[in-house]
Amino acid sequence: MARAHRVALISTFFASLWALVFFQIFSIPGVDKGAIMEIWPLIPWWLLVTFGSYSLWSLGWGLFTFRDCPEAYEELMREISQAKDDLRSRGLALD
Amino acid sequence: MNPFDMQGQFATSDTHKYSVILPTYNERKNLPIIVWLLANVFEKQQLAWEVIVVDDASPDGTQEVAKQLASLYGEDKIVLKPRAGKLGLGTAYIHGLNFCTGDFVIIMDADFSHHPKFIPQFISLQKAHNLDIVTGTRYRSTSKPFLREATPGGVHGWDLKRKLVSRGANFLADTVLSPGVSDLTGSFRLYKLPVLRHIIAETQSKGYVFQMEMMVRARALGYTVGEVPITFVDRIFGESKLGADEIVSYAKGVWALFVGI
Repeated sequence: MARAHRVALISTFFASLWALVFFQIFSIPGVDKGAIMEIWPLIPWWLLVTFGSYSLWSLGWGLFTFRDCPEAYEELMREISQAKDDLRSRGLALD
Repeated sequence: MNPFDMQGQFATSDTHKYSVILPTYNERKNLPIIVWLLANVFEKQQLAWEVIVVDDASPDGTQEVAKQLASLYGEDKIVLKPRAGKLGLGTAYIHGLNFCTGDFVIIMDADFSHHPKFIPQFISLQKAHNLDIVTGTRYRSTSKPFLREATPGGVHGWDLKRKLVSRGANFLADTVLSPGVSDLTGSFRLYKLPVLRHIIAETQSKGYVFQMEMMVRARALGYTVGEVPITFVDRIFGESKLGADEIVSYAKGVWALFVGI
């Protein structure tokens, strides 16, 4: 089973649970019906906003902590000229 | 025969051999230097090594240079295995694998974006946990699992936009595929030889997606993967390309893996 199938299966399961309660085919026992009817339609939006916030945070934090490494560049440049000198002294023709 | 005599044949306790596969196309200028850097690292660590140069018929004389290097370092160390034309990265590794005499394979770019100085850390991490694969990551500051000698990763030569695209690409793949690896598009990796053979035989995509598919497949097949932070100096000679076409084909690749694996 591919990952897409697993994701589809799980989301279908939760979406149908949500729909059953939303269309009042099934009711949650012990909770006031009025409160459910106020909260329930907002759940998909809440999920969407939560995911959006997570994405933005994750991208922003990733960008913020993305390190620059100028020292690696300097070191590489030194090593390249070292390598060229050494290889030339061993008889390799470089340009 | 006394088994302890065997140890005398090696300068260190490390009896493994590391084969580096270097796919090249017009790398006449870079090849001698990357080989010099590799030789330096391996000699310092007293490891058995070889470099398999898979050249796709470069018109610039890369193969001539490889032959000169072979006479300098030894034909057992620098092995030139050219191909008839530009046939792509994935098949270059498959071609190179046919000639590896080591039991570990290192794949990396020949353009200096990957520095051989990280190879000893890859090897230490592999040994400490008997990992199947160790991959370099630009995004982490510590290795996974922890390794004391690891130093923070990073990039050089990228502007904010390039960083954002790179982060976005990895975020997308990470969310959709959760491969458990922070740098999916990097291509500096150490593999156990049979593991690389197995994964590469099942991998279908090309280009950017190829390296990502290898990681996703590795996880699906139950192989263990470790990560070592690396510094990445973007192509200093030549152009590094990233256009809208690449982004679209990347997104298509992620989707293909999502529905395929």
